[in-house]
Amino acid sequence: MRAALSILKKDLRMEFRSKDSILSMWIFSLLIFVIFNFTFEVSRLVMLEIAPGLLWVAFIFSGMFGLNHAFAVEKENGNLRSMALMPVDGGQVYLGKFMSVTLIMLLFESLIFPIFIIFYDLQLSFQMFLLIPVILAGTIGFTSLGTILSAVAVHTRDQQILLSLLLWPLVSPIIIWSVNLTGMVIGGDITQGFYPLLTRVIAFDVIFFAVSFMLFEFILED
Amino acid sequence: MLLPALELTKVSKDFGRIIALRNIDLTIQSGEFVSILGRNGAGKTTLLNIISGVSKPSSGLVELYGGDPADTENKSKLAVISHEVFLYNNLTATENLEYYASIYGVKDAEQRIKDVLQSVELMHRRFDLVGTFSRGMTQRLTIARALLHEPSLLLLDEPFTGLDQLAIGILISLLRKQKELGRTILLTTHDLHTAKELSQRYLILEKHRILHDGLMADTNPDEIRQKYFSSDRSGE
Repeated sequence: MRAALSILKKDLRMEFRSKDSILSMWIFSLLIFVIFNFTFEVSRLVMLEIAPGLLWVAFIFSGMFGLNHAFAVEKENGNLRSMALMPVDGGQVYLGKFMSVTLIMLLFESLIFPIFIIFYDLQLSFQMFLLIPVILAGTIGFTSLGTILSAVAVHTRDQQILLSLLLWPLVSPIIIWSVNLTGMVIGGDITQGFYPLLTRVIAFDVIFFAVSFMLFEFILED
Repeated sequence: MLLPALELTKVSKDFGRIIALRNIDLTIQSGEFVSILGRNGAGKTTLLNIISGVSKPSSGLVELYGGDPADTENKSKLAVISHEVFLYNNLTATENLEYYASIYGVKDAEQRIKDVLQSVELMHRRFDLVGTFSRGMTQRLTIARALLHEPSLLLLDEPFTGLDQLAIGILISLLRKQKELGRTILLTTHDLHTAKELSQRYLILEKHRILHDGLMADTNPDEIRQKYFSSDRSGE
């Protein structure tokens, strides 16, 4: 755990110094909200239908910046090789990178979410707190798989394209379910299907995390 | 009998159809300083990658202190210095060393960091970002990073490349000190003069196998040069 925390501390220190990921992610999401808000003149009811999808488009597309950046800094100066030389399990390296990518993404999400509420004139209610486990579960699913695939893609010349090609098909179910869950919360329509669906997302998170944790050792090998 | 620091038995490595190493047999005792000479593409870096556990051999056996080089315990005993500096430009010199000290579980890290920074004459720049360092200063910090956890085995992959005279002088004197401390050192270089000056034993790697394995004391520089350059020609 010591190594994972060291990697997390190092990544957060670098991110807060440069703000490379957070800034690009935030600006990109803001752009999405502005464009969609002013392009479509639709009723509030239709907007409520569209809003969950828009929110996750912003989260996921911006999250791609974060994922691409996470291992690009490791490629610089051969640090990816230094990770392979470290006297720690590959799983520890994965855990450290996963925690930093997830925390940075959650921080960005907490910064962009108030803007989303303002732009789409959503009413705050106690029920909105249910978005916390939804966003948390959706984000963890995305980053648990994204972290290992980003480490695979960084070895290639077309890192960004390969990451998208590998990640999208696998992470799609989680994103679709997260959009559905977000729609239920925003629309005030918490049906019986809400909790089983949330459980399904969490189950996928656990599977993605466990598999990635075990396989990361092989990714670091030459 | 004391276990050798390193033992390679019939080690081969290929990348598809490309052969990188062929049937390498090599034993290095603890405390030996061995220089590996060979032209570009001879397989020197691949050999060091296999020894460090980053790369697995296609066939053959590698034993580091009697165990697998990829074991975490063995990994903590070695350090690599190469043209890749393994440092983060967006962290200061101290922050980089703190990170590695934490990963390698260095005891009394604060004092140790000061000691290694002093040994590479970088104390005055300890709070500056590595991205602002010159190539020579970065390489000096790399040396500090490698020595931070006091490794038993040092793998040096052409460490003099791109260094200024000051950094070369510091590295040579640090290597001498490591040799006196009884560390095992493997150095790949094109610089015959430095290899002769520092090491007890030399290997010439050519066409992916060891062509010569001899003691520096038993060989005069001209003889090494002749062997080195004849192997160079034979590879063309």
